[in-house]
Amino acid sequence: MRLRTALLIVAVLCGCWGLLHAQKPFREYDTVEGHAESAIPPDANVPHEWTRARLMYRDYTGFGRFGFRRGGGSWTIDYPRSDRHLLYGVKRLTRIDSRAVEQPVALDNSDDVYNWPTLYAVEVGHWELNSEEAAQLRDFLNRGGFLMVDDFHANAEWGVFLEGIKQVFPDREIVDLPKAEPIFHTLYDLDDKYQIPGAQFLRSGLTYEKDESGRPEHWRGIYDDKGRIVVAICHNMDLGDAWEWSDEPEYPAEWANMAYRIAMNYFVYDLTH
Amino acid sequence: MFEFLFKYPLSIYRQGTFIFLAGWPLWLMGLGILVAAGALGFLIWRQASGTARMGVVRRASIWVLQTALAALLLFLIWHPALSVSTLKPQQNIVAVVIDDSTSMTTDDETSTRKEKAVKVLDGGLLKALQEKFQVRLYRMSDHAERIDKLDQLTANATATHIGESLKQVAADASSLPIGAMILLSDGSDNTGGVDLETLSEIRRQRIPVHTIGLGKETMSRDVEISNVDVAARALPESRLAATVSFHQHGYTGQKAKITLREGSRIVANQDVTLKAEGTEQVETVLFNAGAAGVKTLEASIDPFPNEENPRNNRVTRLVNVDPRKPRILYMEGEPRWEFKFLKRAVEDDKTLDVASILRTAPNKLYRQGVCRPGDTAHPQVNGKCTEMEDGFPTKIEDLFAFDGIIFGSVDAPYLTKNQQDMVKQFVDRRGGGVLFLGGKDSLSDGGWAKSAAADILPTTLPDRKNTYSFAGADVELTPEGRDSLITRIEEDPNKNVERWKKLPYIRTFQDPGDPKLGAVVLANFIPREGGGAKRPLLVTMNYGRGRTAIFATGGSWRWQMLQPVADMSHEMFYRQLLRWVVSDTPRHITGSTPKTLLADESHVRLRAEVRDKTFLPASDAIVEAHINGDGVSEQVVNMTPEPLEQGVYGADWTAPQTGSYIVEVVAKRGSEEIGKDTFTFRREDGIAENFHVEQNRELLEKLSAETGGQYYKPGDAQKLGKDINYSQAGITVRETRDLWDMPAIFLLFLGIRGAEWLLRRRWGVI
Repeated sequence: MRLRTALLIVAVLCGCWGLLHAQKPFREYDTVEGHAESAIPPDANVPHEWTRARLMYRDYTGFGRFGFRRGGGSWTIDYPRSDRHLLYGVKRLTRIDSRAVEQPVALDNSDDVYNWPTLYAVEVGHWELNSEEAAQLRDFLNRGGFLMVDDFHANAEWGVFLEGIKQVFPDREIVDLPKAEPIFHTLYDLDDKYQIPGAQFLRSGLTYEKDESGRPEHWRGIYDDKGRIVVAICHNMDLGDAWEWSDEPEYPAEWANMAYRIAMNYFVYDLTH
Repeated sequence: MFEFLFKYPLSIYRQGTFIFLAGWPLWLMGLGILVAAGALGFLIWRQASGTARMGVVRRASIWVLQTALAALLLFLIWHPALSVSTLKPQQNIVAVVIDDSTSMTTDDETSTRKEKAVKVLDGGLLKALQEKFQVRLYRMSDHAERIDKLDQLTANATATHIGESLKQVAADASSLPIGAMILLSDGSDNTGGVDLETLSEIRRQRIPVHTIGLGKETMSRDVEISNVDVAARALPESRLAATVSFHQHGYTGQKAKITLREGSRIVANQDVTLKAEGTEQVETVLFNAGAAGVKTLEASIDPFPNEENPRNNRVTRLVNVDPRKPRILYMEGEPRWEFKFLKRAVEDDKTLDVASILRTAPNKLYRQGVCRPGDTAHPQVNGKCTEMEDGFPTKIEDLFAFDGIIFGSVDAPYLTKNQQDMVKQFVDRRGGGVLFLGGKDSLSDGGWAKSAAADILPTTLPDRKNTYSFAGADVELTPEGRDSLITRIEEDPNKNVERWKKLPYIRTFQDPGDPKLGAVVLANFIPREGGGAKRPLLVTMNYGRGRTAIFATGGSWRWQMLQPVADMSHEMFYRQLLRWVVSDTPRHITGSTPKTLLADESHVRLRAEVRDKTFLPASDAIVEAHINGDGVSEQVVNMTPEPLEQGVYGADWTAPQTGSYIVEVVAKRGSEEIGKDTFTFRREDGIAENFHVEQNRELLEKLSAETGGQYYKPGDAQKLGKDINYSQAGITVRETRDLWDMPAIFLLFLGIRGAEWLLRRRWGVI
């Protein structure tokens, strides 16, 4: 009996270890924005070569602080409607073999995040990373992962983002990406970019958010030692909304169009550099 | 014992002809035996009939014994004898050839071989010979040289060519009455033995070569490196394997250290445990080729304190580290992580240049690594690079400009039939390497089984679709993979196997089908779920002049993402795999020589294989070899077409002195240069004699047997004084030697009679 119990414990521990080290399956979380809900596509569980992961993080305001890994919080802004629209666009506009659904991942000290090398974080003007999470994100990026951040506006949110990213890369400089940077030319030649406002424009008529420092848009990035962009920073714009509202007739098509083109270029850049 | 029983030595029987001196016909002896047998049978039958104790078997036994006795008597009446030719005293010359090479200085505990040879000759043999014959002394090295006295022996010749030396002595026999040769040697011939032509020449002159074997047949305490196998060419900074073969006597189970040195710098070493006595042990030592240039590598095993011959513990080899940077075309059908991580894995490898074409969208390509600075074939036009702007090359010379190709998730129909055929020719004719990766549009799922390039694949692809699975699989090395440099991510082979077991699982796998004949499976994958069977993951094969491989996954990127940043296993694997793909891809000109190390020889055969722009053999080229060596001014040698090989040119050259030589082969068609190549060789003297110092008794015995001579140990050598008389060479006289009175016949007679008496006594019928 004792032996059987011991074997059972060992089997359970092995199972837990396996789960920690294996790719986690798809799971949908509660979103903070009701309008962003989206039906799970019928082919959600059909595996594909690629998908874009969404970073689950703790909100510095305390919003969703204790349960962000169960859903809610700023990381779920535009989620999952924006993701599903975007991934459908990836399938339609590129030859990337994309899954129909996103993969939310957390910096939870497990190996899961490393299974999804293309990572997106929204509203990083609200994120909060502790030292362990920052270290894991640094490790993820150093191993070859790619992070795209979006939908944070004006100086205050930039400061919050900076606080987090400086924990990840204290010594790496954030730079404005030049027009000639390959990331703007992998699929489309995006020499003439412009600010992409969020859906709030439909209510406020403003193309920027927060305050005057919410414009103009900034295409920024952090390079690694070999000159590759590892963090692509889209400040003062809301690509997430543009993807989410791209099927909304009132949302200007040219903004949605540009948002898709940016995403396609960024993803192809990630997969080629 | 033989001589006691049969009166004369065995050599006389071998040389002589058996005859009967009686002069009566042989049939009469046969008839006599038959008559005697009949008569004896009749008498025995009559006498014994009615005697209960003499049954049929007993009577037959008695009859057989008595008939044998009668036959023996008849045989003796016919007067058996041997007819032999013997050398006429004082009218013949005996050539005494003494090995004078360095191996004769080997100390076989009591004395050196040279001392032993002198002792044998001075101990009475020379005097015995001189009493009957004129004796000519020769010292033997790579040729025979006449000497007057034994003290002219030096034992410092750097080579032993037994065949060449004997041929030279035999040539003297055409004008001199040489009746026999005596060879005192350890049989350590540097040319590998005595060739048939030399044996025929000696046999034709009927000169018996008697050999006296010197030295131990097996060393008591010695380690000898028998060979070191290492690639003659390598890419800079590539990992190479030196396969060191050696054997030992007297040190079984002891530890030894194999060291690889370049000059005084140790490039690698490895501790080994010595295996069983006399067995060939093979160990692989890995090392880094280092920067471009000619490397003289010395492989050595540290000598033991009491080793008999420490000179055979080191061997030199040359490696030409070629400064070229092979170019690989990576064609990928979809943006995916495998593409990204493969390119990242090899981007720091300064020896590889990867250009890629990626299908980003149905109608768009993204090119990287094209129109590199200094690329005169593809200059940028108004800042725009036109190289492969329309995708995969359509001209054969454009494709053949690459050394290797990688096909990612690319379906075969994306290439035209002509392009597929070009891929096949790229391997077969150009000698390039092609790697096929797994993917949703790769291999069977990409229709490659029915493509014009199907032949070059190392497996027979499954005749079905949906062979690509998005599921995890573990990887394990095969025994071949354990020994392969492609899969070596840890220096120690056992640790390497364990390292592979601990690699993160691959995210996807594809069934590549079954390996073709000649293909080598280096690794298998085992699906983690569903209980799927083990299938080949990494398969390689040589095809035509080139090579191909399948790596049946698109999910090895997990080896990079799921391991610490400092872990280099993913990078090392892909770098080694891609180097294998391209490292042996020839250029338009490939220069070579059969031996890069001339050990105690000076002749070298130069060879150049010349191909035109489309890699067809160029038989109308003008080919020159420009040879430069240490202290030797440049010499230009014209190479001429080899009659039986198209596009191959050859020349003979003699290296005037020891040292390293660099050969640059240049091929031209009119004023147009087809290409050039550089290779190296090295001449070293005083090397060959350090190896194979055990007595080669087999060679000496064979030489004696083939020429009618006899092999002697030094202790029996004095018998030669008598045996040497019998020869068909020189000035001879025929003699007959009686055989009737040899003790063996007397003993046989006694045996037959004794046997009959014993039988009769046992049966009680005396």
